[in-house]
Amino acid sequence: MDRIYKKSTKEFYTLVFLALVSAGTIIVDHKYKQADYARSMINDLIVYPIYNISSMPRNFFTSFMKEYQDIETLESEIEKLKRENMSLKINLQEFEALREENIRLRDIQKKTKESSNKQTIAKVLNNSASPNKKIIIIDKGQNDGLYKGQNVIGIKGLIGQIIESNSMSSKVILINDKNHNVPGVVNRTGEKVIIAGENKDNELLIQFTPLDTTVEEGDIVTTSGVAGRFKSKIPIGKVTSVVKDPEKKFSEIKIKTFENLSNISDVILIWDYKPISEEDTTKEETNNE
Amino acid sequence: MNNPLVIILSTFISVILTISTFPLGYLSPDWMLLIILYWMIAVPSMYNLYTVWLIGIIADVTVGSILGMNALVYIFLSFIVKELHKSLRYFTIIQQSIIILIVFLIKVTFLIWIDSLLGSEIFNIDMYFVALSSALLWPAVFYSLRYFRRRYNIA
Repeated sequence: MDRIYKKSTKEFYTLVFLALVSAGTIIVDHKYKQADYARSMINDLIVYPIYNISSMPRNFFTSFMKEYQDIETLESEIEKLKRENMSLKINLQEFEALREENIRLRDIQKKTKESSNKQTIAKVLNNSASPNKKIIIIDKGQNDGLYKGQNVIGIKGLIGQIIESNSMSSKVILINDKNHNVPGVVNRTGEKVIIAGENKDNELLIQFTPLDTTVEEGDIVTTSGVAGRFKSKIPIGKVTSVVKDPEKKFSEIKIKTFENLSNISDVILIWDYKPISEEDTTKEETNNE
Repeated sequence: MNNPLVIILSTFISVILTISTFPLGYLSPDWMLLIILYWMIAVPSMYNLYTVWLIGIIADVTVGSILGMNALVYIFLSFIVKELHKSLRYFTIIQQSIIILIVFLIKVTFLIWIDSLLGSEIFNIDMYFVALSSALLWPAVFYSLRYFRRRYNIA
């Protein structure tokens, strides 16, 4: 009797001890962001190898399917790409002229920000890496120089930003996550808006715009660059509906994203823009003093 | 088969299952806790609380929640189930499923509490679907793990 009692109390103290330890890690992770190192170590050692193993059958299947694609479809694909390439080249000539003009204007403005054309393409390892959040995992990490807060785009528009970069993989939060907001601007009217995700596949929401807004269906929304998180002028989506409900005192604007966020296979990481983090702003303040 | 190997294999398989069922969204069951709870009922001496805590940390990294959140919930729930394992063994499979449902409801509620304490409001009533899907999966997990336990004589 005595021994059973002792054993259970010992276990109970272990429970209390571990509960305190986890409370500690929760606080450290939430407040001080010091746990990133431990998190990425566990990810690299345990979770990332398991990811690779679990995605092996799928990768094998897709590569198997690719090999057996018809030559005809490939030829038609080449034809299509050739045509596309031609039209792109024509567009490019126009852009070249615009670029030179842009550089000239920048020189005048004395605002020569270094704009390199460096881009990195990363493959998506997992399209949904969390049950409750819209997070994807890509196959590039700190080894390739990726950093937290880096903007992630697709061919058509904005996808999201990196929230965690481990040595060989990174987690990207998508713009349609419920807790994610993007400062944007409506191109036609110049109205600054905040675009919130809704956990819906390709739909975003602008919640608090006044009732007398002039935004219409079909307007294009891009990032505004306010708050220094995202580079400005990245296309986000098109307005699909404007609901003016006098009882709610605000009008609700729904946006369809250009990028198909539910099924992404490749993403582009841009390097010519570094988001302003909290540390940087405090440094700048001290420099000004 | 010795116990550490069983623990490592179970954790490995549960992480794979967790990752591969992410596309189900709110319905994706918590395989890691399900498998821990099975061993807690069948062979209570196998896992000690430190191991459960470590697996909870791995779960946190896999799911991408705040480090320690799942670990905290895992140690509480597995402690309770370990204390009750003698009576749980004599329950029928449906009664056990109901207990699992309640355990997972507690788990989700705890996670929502911690989240709202930290100020990130992600409350959504759909989050409770995890409990339902996990409880429905309990018979499958129970019978398949019992088969392995008897086949390889794990005790």
